[in-house]
Amino acid sequence: MNLMNADPPEAARAEPDDEMVLDPRVQESIGRSLKAHYDDLINAPIPDRFMVLLAQLEDTERRLKAGGGSDERG
Amino acid sequence: MSAADFKDGLIAEIPNLRAFAASLSGSMQLADDLVQDTLLKAWGNADKFQPGTSLRAWLFTILRNTYYSLYRKRGREVQDSEGTYADRLATHGNQESHLDLADFRKALAKLPEEQREVLIMVGATGLSYEETAEICGVAIGTIKSRVNRARAKLAELLSIGGVDDLGPDRRITAAVQRAGPETVGS
Repeated sequence: MNLMNADPPEAARAEPDDEMVLDPRVQESIGRSLKAHYDDLINAPIPDRFMVLLAQLEDTERRLKAGGGSDERG
Repeated sequence: MSAADFKDGLIAEIPNLRAFAASLSGSMQLADDLVQDTLLKAWGNADKFQPGTSLRAWLFTILRNTYYSLYRKRGREVQDSEGTYADRLATHGNQESHLDLADFRKALAKLPEEQREVLIMVGATGLSYEETAEICGVAIGTIKSRVNRARAKLAELLSIGGVDDLGPDRRITAAVQRAGPETVGS
């Protein structure tokens, strides 16, 4: 499947300039900021639309199964 | 895995999916559309998920592929017209121990997306290098190299140590090396 591992075009050039070694304190500072950025997003309130969507999907599946003769309730 | 268990698994991953989608697309609105598409695809392909493997890694693969095939262009348009979410979100105050969040986000948004996505996956989501490599469809060495370049670029954008510590000669060498491939082509 072509789409399964779509990669940005820039990926083609993988020149290794890893010789630039960062100060561990700088790495640590970046790591902390990265976590702060991500945790802030994780803790943002979740819109209702996702729960509504999943409830609809589950409901549809349940009805399909019931219609198909099975009494399964998940 | 029952439908109810699968649904619970999806629900538990929603905050992570949103955070990754926002980091990738630069827009909270796009992130929510992206998460919705990801949940729909995941539900439709539930039989392809192997219980016992990482649901997060599986969902990130779907989200990432959806982004690159459908959302990338939209993301750029939204960023051009509205700026990134980094410009609009409330910012946390300065703390001694870490950089100002707003400044960090602006710098993060400037990274090439191939670097930004791996830095987020490896540095914030709890995914391993192996899982990240699998999600991106590249070798682990490539992931490590991208993470290193992402960190170096962030340090440079944020002007925090590292580059200056290397001394001017090294700095110029590094800059020339970085500029190399592009200049040759033009």
